[in-house]
Amino acid sequence: MSESKFKFAFYLGCIAPNRYPGVESASIKAMKKLGVELVPLKGASCCPAPGAFGSIDLNVFYAMAARNLVLAEQMKMDIALVCNGCYKSIWEVNHKLKHNKDLRDNVNEVLKEVDMEYKGTINVYHTAELLYNDKFIGVDKVRDSVTNPLTGARIAVHYGCHLTKPHKDREFEKEVMLNTEHPVWMEELVAALGATPVEYRNKMQCCGAGGGVRGYDIVHALDIANEKLINITEQKVDALTDICPFCQLQFDRGQIEIQEKFGVSYNLPVLHYAELLGLAQGMSPQDLGLDLHGISCESFLQKVL
Amino acid sequence: MVRTKGYPAALDQKLQDTRLHNDDSNPEFTKNVKAISRTTAHMCYQCGTCTGSCPSAPRSTYRIRKFMRRAVLGLENEALTDPDLWLCTTCYSCSDRCPRDIIPTDVIMAMRNLAFKRDIIPVNFLKTVQSIYKTGHGVPNNDVNRAAREKIGLSRDPPTTHMYPEYIPGIQKILDHYNLKANSDRIVKEREG
Repeated sequence: MSESKFKFAFYLGCIAPNRYPGVESASIKAMKKLGVELVPLKGASCCPAPGAFGSIDLNVFYAMAARNLVLAEQMKMDIALVCNGCYKSIWEVNHKLKHNKDLRDNVNEVLKEVDMEYKGTINVYHTAELLYNDKFIGVDKVRDSVTNPLTGARIAVHYGCHLTKPHKDREFEKEVMLNTEHPVWMEELVAALGATPVEYRNKMQCCGAGGGVRGYDIVHALDIANEKLINITEQKVDALTDICPFCQLQFDRGQIEIQEKFGVSYNLPVLHYAELLGLAQGMSPQDLGLDLHGISCESFLQKVL
Repeated sequence: MVRTKGYPAALDQKLQDTRLHNDDSNPEFTKNVKAISRTTAHMCYQCGTCTGSCPSAPRSTYRIRKFMRRAVLGLENEALTDPDLWLCTTCYSCSDRCPRDIIPTDVIMAMRNLAFKRDIIPVNFLKTVQSIYKTGHGVPNNDVNRAAREKIGLSRDPPTTHMYPEYIPGIQKILDHYNLKANSDRIVKEREG
């Protein structure tokens, strides 16, 4: 097997490895096929959760995220991750610390107590960005890697918030990723798998889970998700895809909670893009642990397998 | 707070700028919000683009524009004791659309930081802290997931603090530096006994 062209420290976060492990295994295998090796980031912790920690004390938020960054700095590797929430913590804190000496000094004063120092020597990427940016992989290579095209499947995209927003602070090489009103780059990635991307009303609306709202007022959070589910299912789609395990939890497990609390059911399969990519590259539903999903993916699988 | 420039009382009353101050204003609050949020709330001209973009607004009384005004006016108590402060999902739609280039979401986060200093905080936030202190994860692994991981060829525990618990004391030191675990335990105990 040929040597991987790129190597990244794979920052897992919490929900992917601990609730949707298929996202972890699909990312490792699928990216490997595309020339990107994801190396375990040993001893990483929660990013920490930007809603909870950012609300309590931003200084703790910076220090905890910096600890994860230092682990990757010690490996001399850039970070790749699979969750928008993690991207907000890890990318944004890296960016803030690189550009603000006062913050960096504060963080390093605390990190000194655990024999660490943040140096600002690495970059942070979301795997969706690596897949889309042809400097790393690009849509064409993704298309070429497909052995089991998801032909006939109508798939809606949920972009989530924290990868691209606030766009004025983000620095993507691919400028289309800075369009947060009506982006279509994820749709390109979905089409590359042979599926049909489907547009729906108010596509860029939040899933409702972030900022600690899911824990603070679950009915409020689910009502936001429910509005999106109404708009999505209106378009008769076979699945919803996301690039954030927390959004995935909100739409997947959330559908069960919506059924309990509001008495409506959608039975809409919700899959992380890594899981879709895995399927399209020939991984089986068993390889992806799709039976762990709250909403059965069976209807979708029958269409594409 | 009464401000006077030495004018006669009636003129002083007339000159009171109630758009920028009222008797409940605390100018320190405005400064603190600015320092923590690192954005320019005082540039807000109350157009309401933020509230119009907010997914929480249509289903609650939460109005981000109102909090922006409170930041400018220094209405500390009004802002920090309003339960709606915790309904921001931090989607940053307001921040993407603000014509004054302010980041209202970060104003909310700064206010939440200031509320926490007064022990005003929903307990679910603190439970995340307790979980990370114990395991390193906000959402920790469980036995069903361990079995599933093994079945799909992954290690039962991910190569995070779960597989390497020797990294947990370092995390605890960082959290203890800010006294966060002790404060979280105390507040949770006060609320839940």
